[in-house]
Amino acid sequence: MNDAAASEALAAPLYVAWQITNECNLACLHCIEESGPGKAFSDELDREGALRVVDELMANEVPYLSFSGGEPMLHPHFFEMVERVTSRGSQLKVETNGHYLTPENCARLKALEVKAVQVSLDGATSATFGRMRVRGEFDRTLQGIRNLVAADVPVEINFSPARFNIHEAGRIVDLAYELGAASFYSGRTMFTGNAVKAWRHLEVEDADYVKYFETLAAKRDEYRGRMRVSYHEAGLLEELRYRLHHPAALLIILPNGLVKLINALPFVCGDLRRESLADVWANFRRAWHDPRVATFIDELAADPGATRGLHKWVRV
Amino acid sequence: MRLAKNVKFREEKFGGVLFETRSEKVYTLTPTAAAVVKQVAEGRTPGEIAPALAQRFEADGTTIEREVKAFLAELAEKGLVED
Repeated sequence: MNDAAASEALAAPLYVAWQITNECNLACLHCIEESGPGKAFSDELDREGALRVVDELMANEVPYLSFSGGEPMLHPHFFEMVERVTSRGSQLKVETNGHYLTPENCARLKALEVKAVQVSLDGATSATFGRMRVRGEFDRTLQGIRNLVAADVPVEINFSPARFNIHEAGRIVDLAYELGAASFYSGRTMFTGNAVKAWRHLEVEDADYVKYFETLAAKRDEYRGRMRVSYHEAGLLEELRYRLHHPAALLIILPNGLVKLINALPFVCGDLRRESLADVWANFRRAWHDPRVATFIDELAADPGATRGLHKWVRV
Repeated sequence: MRLAKNVKFREEKFGGVLFETRSEKVYTLTPTAAAVVKQVAEGRTPGEIAPALAQRFEADGTTIEREVKAFLAELAEKGLVED
């Protein structure tokens, strides 16, 4: 038994990260999707199209999905899509800003047996949280997390560092534990989407990242056995160079059914409105060998700011 | 014995995969290992699995029983199956 699976050899993806809508009630400074109020794509999948994609994923035995956004709970058919996934035996994680986690909605998520709900909490105080998560309400998010815990839904807390909140690293992990989270995750904030315009407020110095990951390493040890603390220390370029030779068995579906090669590249390798999952998966595996992909990654080394164009999709 | 709550199994041309979704860790399985896991997923007891596989692979029952036992112990140690 080996603890690796080359995506080349698999009949279908193992993990699908589906951005089900670009609409969001918040307008976060660092949002890589440029989501916000009124930012739904004009061609997002309708109910029939979305459920057809769910059915195809289930028919191909995709074992693990996540629904994100925008704010996925704003999708008009959110719960119907959740039920369609979990009733077929696949595991589902919901990635939300936590503003719609009422006791009633948490009870529904529990009844539907979602694997976990990931809540973005980009500050240990109302001031830092509000600065990052524009239009966001700190206390409402905390209450949403408490409602999840009360409903016995596993909670994952996600934290995006910026120069104005990174000093709260230790405190935010403690807060996640106090709230009853099962796990805490962080990484580096990407220079793309909304972050391009707000970079002067967000950019973290390398030396601060070093201290940040040292803090998280200490917290990982402190909470071992009680709460899982994990983080991705690698920079974007390092990650992409690795993925070029070891693509994850992961498809990223956009709200309109287009499929991206990986979030941090502009390449689109399929369209689930017109192509079968099998065809998209075959093209995904081929597309990683397209010379434009390696060239883009090489150019990123010379110009890290090239990530500002990730939303100008290129079909491969 | 059954697959652990956060573990999913899928058959593949090369055998199969076990996906532990909590840690997002993937294990690839040979055809024989996949056959064992499939039996677990279908609810067979450890005592039923070895004879079924010995018949299917036309192998010595004692050897198969020993190997199945060791493999199930490995799965249990990794938290991939539970009683």
